[in-house]
Formats: sequence, structure tokens, C-alpha cells
Amino acid sequence: MGSVKERVRAPRGLVGGGKLAFGTMNANPERVSAASMLRLMRPRRARREALAYVVSVAGTAALVSGFLPFRDDVEPLTKAFGFLLVVVVTAAIGGIWPGVFASVLGFVAFNFFFLPPYDTFAIGKPEYVVVLFVNLGLSVLISVLIGRASERASAAEAHEAELRTLQGLSRELVVRGPGTDTYREIVALVLDTFGYESGALFVRDAANVGGLREEVSVGCDPGAIVPEWDPRSPERAPERLPLSVGSNNVGLLVLKGSRAALTDAESRILRAFGDQLALVLERDRLLRVATDAEVYRQTERLRQTLLAAVSHDLRSPLAAIKASVTDLLADDLEHKPADRREALEAIDAESERLNALIANLLDMSRIEAGVLQAHTEAVDVGDVIATSVYNVGRVWPHVRVHERLQDGLLARADPVFLDRIITNLLDNAARSSKGASEVEVATRRNDGVVTIRVIDHGKGIAPEARELMFQPFYELDRRNPRLGSGLGLAIAKGFVAAMDGEIWVEDTPGGGATFAVAVPAAGASA
Amino acid sequence: MSRILVVDDEPQILMAVRRALAARGYDVVTAADGEDALAEAEASVPDLVVLDLHLPGIDGMEVCRRLRTWTRVPILILSVREDEAGKVTALDLGADDYLTKPFGVDELMARIRALQRRTLSRSEMSPKFETGGVTVDLESKRVVRQGRNAHLTRTEWALLEVFAEHPGKLLTHRWLLARVWGAGYENDVEVLRVFVSQLRRKVEPDPGKPVFIVTDPGVGYRWAVEPVADTPARSTG
Repeated sequence: MGSVKERVRAPRGLVGGGKLAFGTMNANPERVSAASMLRLMRPRRARREALAYVVSVAGTAALVSGFLPFRDDVEPLTKAFGFLLVVVVTAAIGGIWPGVFASVLGFVAFNFFFLPPYDTFAIGKPEYVVVLFVNLGLSVLISVLIGRASERASAAEAHEAELRTLQGLSRELVVRGPGTDTYREIVALVLDTFGYESGALFVRDAANVGGLREEVSVGCDPGAIVPEWDPRSPERAPERLPLSVGSNNVGLLVLKGSRAALTDAESRILRAFGDQLALVLERDRLLRVATDAEVYRQTERLRQTLLAAVSHDLRSPLAAIKASVTDLLADDLEHKPADRREALEAIDAESERLNALIANLLDMSRIEAGVLQAHTEAVDVGDVIATSVYNVGRVWPHVRVHERLQDGLLARADPVFLDRIITNLLDNAARSSKGASEVEVATRRNDGVVTIRVIDHGKGIAPEARELMFQPFYELDRRNPRLGSGLGLAIAKGFVAAMDGEIWVEDTPGGGATFAVAVPAAGASA
Repeated sequence: MSRILVVDDEPQILMAVRRALAARGYDVVTAADGEDALAEAEASVPDLVVLDLHLPGIDGMEVCRRLRTWTRVPILILSVREDEAGKVTALDLGADDYLTKPFGVDELMARIRALQRRTLSRSEMSPKFETGGVTVDLESKRVVRQGRNAHLTRTEWALLEVFAEHPGKLLTHRWLLARVWGAGYENDVEVLRVFVSQLRRKVEPDPGKPVFIVTDPGVGYRWAVEPVADTPARSTG
């Protein structure tokens, strides 16, 4: 008894001591001992009753044999108190009925062996009758009192064990986050606590109205336990615990095993635990709904911003083209040749810009779809750069590009990709150098790698933005949405990756940003 | 020569508009962001501001609000189709009209001329309008339609006067409600709709095809008739 209490109490300090034990297996010693105590409660009690009967018989026999040689020298009252002692001990061990049994046994033995005339049930003196029956009455009374007290104590103990089991289970529920692993551990815990061999947790299936879907199964193969139970089946009936919140059915816990039917106390605990499990399932379901809604909201917001940005970037060149064209079409005034030329050049540049943007959008969608296939060949880097510089010059007529190129440099690259990369980097450089419209392109070959650098003298790039800026739509601003160079850099990165190259950004000495692209060299080293 | 401040952060649009306006004899100053715009408005005192709503830093709405704290210069908003709310806010804040991108130079010129006439007419304060056999005379508080005097209620008159005092200007629902009904009524668009249709029945030559009070869907109404130009006594006096 004492040792059991020790086992129960020992971990409590540990668990109660702080969050240390939460959600870890440290909580288990307490849970297991509380549960096993609950399970042991009945057999232990029967054993104790048997022990009490043995004690009462043995005690009475010992008293009789002990007092028998001196039965004439000892006062009858002293002997009577001896039997009373046996009754008290018996009642303390075994409760009321062993106590009463000991009382009657003592009464009979006392009368037979110690009340003259000896060895008969006849009673010599009338006052002996009084002593005898007072003694019996006292014995029975003591048995009843002690028995009732110890019953209360063990009931309280059982109740405490019940509560502790439930508490242990509930804590596991609360401290664990949502997820299949948690449910698996919870079911395992229930099996362990109540002594079942296998079990399955079913939850209401949102897709299939009213239907149940197996969430986890423990101790058997998935699908081995079904939510329905046919009473005509020859198998033992499983324990089926419906889980509901209010009138809302959220799931079902099915437990199978060879153990005996649940006791009232166990059944109470299991039902209380089922209620909590139902609440947790419902909480997790609501959490999922909320998370889905949040993800949808975020995606929707990005989509909206993206749409606004695309529409802005497409419409700006269009607005410039329309303004210039309607200006030229107006017949209310005669345009100066220089003005006319300027307007036509603007229309050309804006058409080119639109074309480049549409190309970028298509490239981006190809990169995002993961269908990019580089067709690498030996490419003259200088040729590709010349094409890119020409294209960028049409979009940014006021930007001057200085070329510092090594002659006859060959790279193993996809010529189309390389052109798109350099064009985007030049476009980005022209965009960020606004006033100071000087951009440089430099190439060099080193250790089998061709590095192309696009150098601007703009504001430069903050160190924390250097990784992020290659993300698509990095620059996307909800208040003022435009694709800007974010798309171009992301495309450059996508194309570089498709050719097994590298792209990075460094500082331009004296201010500004330098974008560098490295691709494998081709041909003999120059 | 009138001076126009054009504000847009897209250099290509700025250049195209500048070229078109310069060719038509305007003196054009430009700004590429909100702060530049406010500084330029103070420095060069333009006769009209063409203002893009989407600007880096201080946006077009804020520029509009700050300009209105010290000047009544006509403001023409440039917006895109998606930006219904921003456009209405800018108009609520005191912008005079808007133009949706992309726009033709002819449209731009028409709006600019209309806004400039309005500034002129405000200084001359001619309170008489005539179109399609209908005369609206604010001074004598009379509306004559098909030779007969139309009877307007007090609220109808108040609404009519607010419209006629701002010929050509696009008046938003909120602005009209606050002006005629007072603070606290800004959102009662239904009330405004009812009174506008009553007023049209009494004022418009053909209430089904309004020419005085023209609807700008989702935004507000515009008094689309030019005041009668000749009131020499007032303009000189």
C-alpha cells in the first residue's frame, strides 16, 4: 500500500514543478501508475479480504492456544480484550465483513474455552453473559467503524486515481499540436491505459457528408478496424466511443482487445476523455479551416497585386504610345519635323518596351511552370552582348552602354537565354541609373568560366536585399504595384539556373551595383 | 501663355504629354514624384495641374489634399481603370476632373480647356445658362422650361445652385451630399439620386437624355452646360 502510494507520488513533484515535463514522456510514470492502480484496485481488495479472514482465524487460534495453559490465572476481561485486538486488526485489513467474522469467532472461542464451565457453550455466571454480549457488540461496532473508514479511504484513492488518469490523458491532448502524429500517440496512450490491443480513430469527413474517415489506427493495419459493428459477428464486441461536440458528431474511437468489459470507473474516464478528444478534433478542424482561409487570402492578395502590376506595366507604354499617336493624328496643328521625329521614336521605344514586357511575362510563366530546357552550344559572348545592347538601346535611347569585352570569348550556353539574361540585366541597370545614364558591360574568362558583368553607377543594393531581389516580384508594392525590374532579375536567375550557371550581385567601386553572371567556357582557353 | 504642371512617375508618359502640350502653346513644367510636384506647384504657380494618382512616396491623393490647403488651381487626375476608389477620393479631396489612362491628346486638351474656361467663368461669375429651350438664371432664381416657369423646392434649388456654381467640374456623391444636406449625410447616395432625377424632370429639355446634369457612373455628376458668356457689366465691374 505504502509502496504504491510512493510510486504514485514520486513523479508529481517533477510534473508539477514546471513545464519541463509537458508533452514529453516524463509525464508517463505518473500516468501509468495511476492507471495500473486503478486496474489493481479490485484484485487487491479481494486479496486483502482473504488475508483478513486468515488473520482472524490465526489470531483467534493463537490467543486460544496462548491463554489456554493459564486460563484460570487470567481475568476473563483481559482475555476478552485480547479477542477485541484480533477484531480490530482484522477489520483494519479486510473491512466490515472479516471484522464481523472475527467478532463472532472471538465470541464463540471465548465462550467455549475461557468462560467457565470450560469447553462447553454453557455459561456459569449470569454476569458472564453480559460480558460476553457486550464484548460481541463492541467487536461488531469496531468492525463496522473501521471497515467504513477504510472503504472511504480506498474510494477516495480510487477516485483520485481516476482523476489522475483523466488528467494525464487530457494533458497529452492539450500540450500536443494538431496533426496525425498527435492522434496516433493519443490512441496509443488510450490503448496502454485501458489495456486494449488495437484501436482506430475516425473523424467526420468533410468531403463525404455524414461519413467517417480513418484518421489513425494503432496496433493493427490501417483499415483493419471499421467504424461499423455488426452485432451478429462472432467476434468480441469492440468498445465504440462516439465523439461529439454538442449535437455535432465529430468522430468515433474504436478499441479492440481481449480485456474484460470496462468497469464503471474506467467507462467514466473513457467517456470524459472522449468528450475532450472530441473538443480537440473540433478545434483542429476549425484551425484547419482558418488556416486555409488565411492561405487563400494571402494568395488572393498577391494575385490582385500582381494583376495590378501587370496592368500598370502594360498600360504605361500603351499610354505613352496613345498620347504620341493622337498627338501626331491631331489636325489642329502643324508639327515641327523634330517633334514629329521625337514622337515616332517614343512610339518605337514604347512598343519595344511592351514587347519586352510580354516576353518577360511569358519567360516567367515558363520558369514557374518548370518547362525550361536549355539548348547549350558554343556561343560567341560578344555577339550576344551586341544584340542585347542594341535591344536595350531601343528601350532606353538615352542610356549609353560601354563595352569592355575580351575578344572571341566562347561560352557553353543557350544563346536565347543568354540574350534574355543580359538584356534584363542591362534593362535593370538602365532603370536604376536614371540620371547618370552610363552602363558598362565587361567580360572575362577565368578557370574555364566566362563571367559577364553588368555595371551601373546608381544607388547600389543594400546587403540584406541581395538574395531577395532575385525572387520574382520582389519589388511588388501593394500601394504602388508595378513589376519593375523584379521580374527581369527573377527571369535572369531562372535562365542562369537552367544553364548551370551562377548569378550574383556585388558593389560597383565608387557606388552602384554590379550584376555578375558566370557560365561554363567553351573552346580552347584564350 | 498658361502654365501646366504635369506629374507622372513614368518618364515616357511625361515626355509624350509635355511634347503634345508644348506643341499647342502651353508652358509645361514636370515632376516625377509627389514631393517634386508640391515644390514645383509652389515655385512655378501653374494654371492647371495634371496629376497621376500612382506616385512613389507621397501619392497623388495626398498631393491633391495638400495642394487644396492653399490653392484652387484646377487639378486633372490621371488614373487607371482599376483605381475607381483612388479617383473618387482625389475628387472628394478637391480634384476637378479625371482622365483614364491610356488617353488621347484630343481628350486631354478638351478636359484642360473645359477646366480653364471654368476658372475664367468663376472670375466673371455669369449665373445664366441656356440650352435646348431651357434657361437657368441663378440671379433671378428662375428656371424657364418650354416657356413656363418651373417650380423648384428649396432643396432642389440648393442642389441646382451647387451644380451651376461649378460648371464642368465633376462633383462626387459625397461632396454634393455634404454640401447640400450637410455633414453626416455623405453616404446617402440614394437621397441624392432621387433629388437629381426630380431636378432633371424640371430642368432638362429631355429628362431621359440629360444635358445639364450628366452622370459619371459610380463617381458623381457634372454640370455640363457652359454659362452664357456675355455679362460685361459684371466682368468689368
